[in-house]
Amino acid sequence: MLNRLTQLSFTIGLFFTIVSVILLTGYFISDALSSLLNLYAGITFLLFGLLMMLIKGKAQIK
Amino acid sequence: MKLHIADYLIIIVYFAFVITVGFVIKRKIKSSNDFLSSGRNIPLWITSLAFISANLGAQEVLGMVASGAKYGIMTVHFYWVGAIFAMVFLAVFMMPFYYGSKARSVPEYLFMRFDEKTRALNAVTFAVMTVFSSGISLFALAKLLEVILHWDFDVSIWLAAGIVMIYTFLGGLTSAVYNEVLQFFLIVLGLSPLVVVALHDAGGWSNIKAQLEPQLTHAWKYMGKADDNPMGINFMSLIFGLGFVMSFGYWCTDFLVVQRAMIARNMNDAQRTPVVAAIPKMLMPLIVVLPGVVAIALMQPALQSKGFAIPTAANGQLDYTMTLPSLIAHYYPSGLLGVGITALIASFMSGMAGNVTAFNSVFTYDIYQSYFVKNRSDKHYLWVGKFITIAGVLLSIITAYVAKSFNNINDFLQLVFSFVNGPLFATFLLGMFWKRTTGHGAFCGLLAGTAAAALTHGLTIAEGKGGWIAPMFEIKSGMGQAFIVASVSWIANFFTTIIVSLFTKPKPEAALKGLVYSLTVKSTYKEEKWYKRVAPIGIILLIITILLNLIFF
Repeated sequence: MLNRLTQLSFTIGLFFTIVSVILLTGYFISDALSSLLNLYAGITFLLFGLLMMLIKGKAQIK
Repeated sequence: MKLHIADYLIIIVYFAFVITVGFVIKRKIKSSNDFLSSGRNIPLWITSLAFISANLGAQEVLGMVASGAKYGIMTVHFYWVGAIFAMVFLAVFMMPFYYGSKARSVPEYLFMRFDEKTRALNAVTFAVMTVFSSGISLFALAKLLEVILHWDFDVSIWLAAGIVMIYTFLGGLTSAVYNEVLQFFLIVLGLSPLVVVALHDAGGWSNIKAQLEPQLTHAWKYMGKADDNPMGINFMSLIFGLGFVMSFGYWCTDFLVVQRAMIARNMNDAQRTPVVAAIPKMLMPLIVVLPGVVAIALMQPALQSKGFAIPTAANGQLDYTMTLPSLIAHYYPSGLLGVGITALIASFMSGMAGNVTAFNSVFTYDIYQSYFVKNRSDKHYLWVGKFITIAGVLLSIITAYVAKSFNNINDFLQLVFSFVNGPLFATFLLGMFWKRTTGHGAFCGLLAGTAAAALTHGLTIAEGKGGWIAPMFEIKSGMGQAFIVASVSWIANFFTTIIVSLFTKPKPEAALKGLVYSLTVKSTYKEEKWYKRVAPIGIILLIITILLNLIFF
């Protein structure tokens, strides 16, 4: 895990994935966070985060 | 503005990440070169994003949104007249000297090209400016959090400074650069929803154009006469003052940004860093100028039902600096609000870290190693660099408290910075492209430029500022005054350097190889595909920039 964190794209991807989990979880379980804006932003952050981590994964395979 | 637990959670996650990055990078730090210069081993995409992120501090983000609200779409000139042209020039013409000379800093290049006193003048003024900039950034962060979130001023100062100190102490420049890239994505992704929602709420760009005075939605149409546009300057002052002197002075000579290109893996990457950075830079007005224009449109009578207003300051006038925080508070729900606040905190902290890492490089290489303790082991300079990092953060904290006590010190310091930075580009331009330029000429030119800047400011007055000698000339806006001060200081430096150089002895040509354009073998990258070469990408960028100017004419 530490080695992966030295790859910046993985770190950035992980950060946005965690933030997206907070937004999406909040959207579904809390009234205060049940705005569509959180849902859309959460999905966008999740896709971006996974993409950044995937870029890292492909780079490692090479 | 009240935060939900989810908002706090996002802020905590960000803090945890930046500190973790510091700990992870620490394992790679083996020498002073690793700590202060990243061992010249950073990939192109990271150096490029760090290059623009170093300029994307909160003062830039808040300031550009504020300018968007105050001056309208004309604010894009900072990007489409200023930054892009200067970045392409840096890449094509100046980077080969910075990188090829193997100088570790901009002051060190000045030493190689000119002499010791020119390096000392630049190193000392730069070191003082960076530490003060860092302190002002810290003060602004704490003040913002105090106003919008009612957080304790002291806690904000020590928390933010403590986190920056931890990750810069552990990972040095690499750690700062990595966090700058994280901050870049946080700002872009964190503020993009705001642009979309606010723009939609205002009825789209066509409705904004219908609501606002045409001077606020045209970049060039009203630049013929100074009195016709909100900045109060004509197109000549803009092109020379902002487009040439200020932008080239900042993007081509400020070590804080140039350092990000100097840590690239090779010459080609170092040259490509500014042009790759210019691509997102070209689009940044969407994130940092458009919200300001939308905000002022939302305050027009036809859109007042939307309920948005820019807060007013104590003097009853609009407090433009609060435009972005008030947009975030108005449109973002809990959750995304945490992302927006984190983006603001990140930009403040990143701005501070950038200044601290530039400060420790210049202090260690150009002041400590050059004048105080020479020829010691690398381990010694590594620890000096680390100690200076702590000292830089502590000095920033002191500056932040001084700024709190003296209300006008921010304006004063920014003014002094502009006096020093304004003329600097003339020194580099002559030094790199005229082999006859001497060290005495460069030194006298810098002093004359700074004096001319102070004199011009003392004789002009704008928005109640300046005119401390005699308010002989009135300028409509402070920004217009800044362009004129910079122009005069540049001209004074340029001609003083030429005149003094003609009467003093230049360095022998053999000593100038690799430092002056006419005496340097030009790099060729014929083996590379066209899109990997600097000049073709630069030309394409300039064409797109010109097209953008025409579209928003």
